[in-house]
Amino acid sequence: MKKRAISVESLNYAYPRNKKALENINIEVFEGEKVAIIGPNGAGKTTLFLHLNGTIKSPQKNVKIFGKSIGDMEIGARIREVGIVFADSDDQLFMPTVYDDIAFGPTNMGLSKEEVDKRVSYAIEKVGLKGLENRVPHHLSCGQKKKVVLATVIAMRPKILVLDEPTANLDPKSRADLIKIINELNRKEGVTIIIAMHDVNVLAELADRVYVLNRKIVANGSPREIFSDFTLLKANNLDAPDVFKLFKILSCLGYACENLPLSFDEAVNEVLNTIEREGIISLRASEQTHSAIKEIMNNYSGVWTEGYGKGN
Amino acid sequence: MVFPRIDAYSALKSPIHSFDPRAKIISFSILIFSFAFLNDLKAAAFALGFSLFLVLLSRLPLSFVLDRIKVPLVFFISILVIMAFTVEGAELFNLFGLSVSSEGVLLGTLIVLRALAALFLLLLMLGTCRFEAVLKALYMLKVPGVLVQMLMFSYRYIFVFIEEFLSMKNAMESKGFQLRGKSSYSLSILGNAVGVLLVKSYERGDRVYKAMISKGYTGNPKLFIKFNMKKSDYVLASLLISLAFCFHLYPVIL
Ligand SMILES: Nc1ncnc2c1ncn2[C@@H]1O[C@H](COP(=O)(O)OP(=O)(O)OP(=O)(O)O)[C@@H](O)[C@H]1O
Ligand SMILES: [Mg+2]
Repeated sequence: MKKRAISVESLNYAYPRNKKALENINIEVFEGEKVAIIGPNGAGKTTLFLHLNGTIKSPQKNVKIFGKSIGDMEIGARIREVGIVFADSDDQLFMPTVYDDIAFGPTNMGLSKEEVDKRVSYAIEKVGLKGLENRVPHHLSCGQKKKVVLATVIAMRPKILVLDEPTANLDPKSRADLIKIINELNRKEGVTIIIAMHDVNVLAELADRVYVLNRKIVANGSPREIFSDFTLLKANNLDAPDVFKLFKILSCLGYACENLPLSFDEAVNEVLNTIEREGIISLRASEQTHSAIKEIMNNYSGVWTEGYGKGN
Repeated sequence: MVFPRIDAYSALKSPIHSFDPRAKIISFSILIFSFAFLNDLKAAAFALGFSLFLVLLSRLPLSFVLDRIKVPLVFFISILVIMAFTVEGAELFNLFGLSVSSEGVLLGTLIVLRALAALFLLLLMLGTCRFEAVLKALYMLKVPGVLVQMLMFSYRYIFVFIEEFLSMKNAMESKGFQLRGKSSYSLSILGNAVGVLLVKSYERGDRVYKAMISKGYTGNPKLFIKFNMKKSDYVLASLLISLAFCFHLYPVIL
C-alpha cells in the first residue's frame, strides 16, 4: 500500500476578526499522487496551504506529513519534506541575485558549498533558466520569476511540492513549460504534487484527483467525476473544461464517446481514434437535440451567460 | 519600468571597476575619513582634485555623476552661504548690512571641498560595482548581519515599492485624479494612498518572512561569494591607504 504523504483531519481555522476560513477539512494525499484543489476565490486554498508547511500551526496536531505532526517537526526536517510555491513571486525572491535565492534553502539545510552549487545548477537547469544565475530578481519577467521561485524550492529537493496557482499570469509557452516541469518531477522523481488552480482547461494534465474546497471540502474525485457533476460546479462558481463541454454537446448530436475528453490533447486523440475505427464521424440532429443542447448549456454555463436560446 | 540605479554603470571597464569590492570598500572608506578630517584649505583642494582624477579614471559618464551630485551640491552651497554670514571674524564685505567674514568664507569653502571630495569617492565606491557585490563585500568584512540584511532587503524591495506606488498613481490618474488641486480633498486622497501603500508593504513583509521561514531561515543567511584578491588589488589598496595618511602627514613633514 502507498504511504500517506499528507493527512489533514478535521482542521478548522479562522483569521483574527474574520469568520471561519477553513471548516472541518479532511484531506489525504498519497505518496506520488498529483492532487488539485479547486474552489472559488476566497475559498481558503491559500490558507490551507499555509498549514501544509507549518507556517500556520494548528494546535490540534491534525496536519500530518508522512505520519508526523508538522507542528512538532524541526525546521530542517520540515523543509526537506514540503516545498511550497506561493502565488506572488516577488515575495519569494528576496536575495540579491538569482543564485543567492536558489542557494538560500540548501544553505539553510546545512549543505556544503559544493553541494549547494550542485543543487543550484540542478534546479536552474530543471526550470530551463541556465545563464541567469547572476541576474537580479527585479530584472526578470513575470514568467522567469515564477520559474526561479520553482527552482528555489526544487533545490531543496522536497518530497512534497505544494503550488498555489502556478500558472496564473503566464503566457501559453511559459504555462506549458511549467506544467511539463511539474509533471516531470512527479514522474521521474516521485514528488507528490498538490496544486491550487483556477485554470480548469489544463487541470486534467496536472492532476489525477481533485478536491473541491469552499471553506469545507465539498467534493473529492477524479477530474472526470468532478466535471460531470454540474450542480456541484454551479454551486461553487466553478466551470468545466471547454473541450469537455463541447464533447457533451457533440454527444447530443450523435457522437458516441465513452470517456469525454478533459483536455485538448485528449480531444484530438479521441477524434483521431474514432475516425480510424469507424472511418467516418457523423453528426445529426433529431427532435430532442435542440432541447438536449439547451439543457447542457444551461447546466454548465447558466451562471455566466443568459443561457442558450433564451432570447429566441 | 526604468529606475534610477546607483549601479547603472557597474559594467564599464576601468581600473576602479576591476578593483576588488572588499579592497575598494576598505581603502575608499579610509580615504573618505581622511578627507573628512582635513583642516587645510590647500590639502582639501588637492583632495578634491584627486577624487576628480579617480572619477575620470573610472569612465563614469559625466551626466550620471552630475545627476547624483546636484542635490547634495545645493545643500553644500547653502552651507557655504550660511557659514559666510554667521561665522564671526574680519569683515570681507558688507551686504545690505549683513557682514560677510573672511573666516566664514574660508571655513565654508573648506567644508564644501572636503564634502565634495568625500562624495565623489562614495559615488565611485557604490557606482563602480554591482550593489549586491557591495553587500557581499560588507558581509565578508564582518559587518553585523542585521545591517547587511537590512540593506539587502531595502535594496531588493525598494524597486517593488516604487513599482507599487507608480501603478497605484497610474490607477488613480486613470480615474481622473489630479494632485494639482492642492485642495484638502486631493490631499486626503493622497494620504489614503500612502497609508494603503504602508499597509501593503507591511503585509508584504509578513509574506516575505513566511516564504523565508518555509525555506529554513533562522536569522543568519549565509552568502557564498566568489571574490578573488589579485596582486594589483593589494597594490592599489596600499597605495590609496598610504595616500590617505599622507594627506594628514604632509603639513607635519613640510
Ligand atoms: N491575512 C488575512 N487576514 C484576514 N483574513 C484573511 C487573510 N487572508 C485571507 N483571509 C480571508 O480568508 C478567506 C480565505 O482566503 P484564501 O486566501 O485562503 O482564499 P483562496 O482560496 O486562496 O482565494 P484565491 O483563489 O482568491 O487565492 C477569505 O475569505 C479571505 O478574505
Ligand atoms: Mg489564494
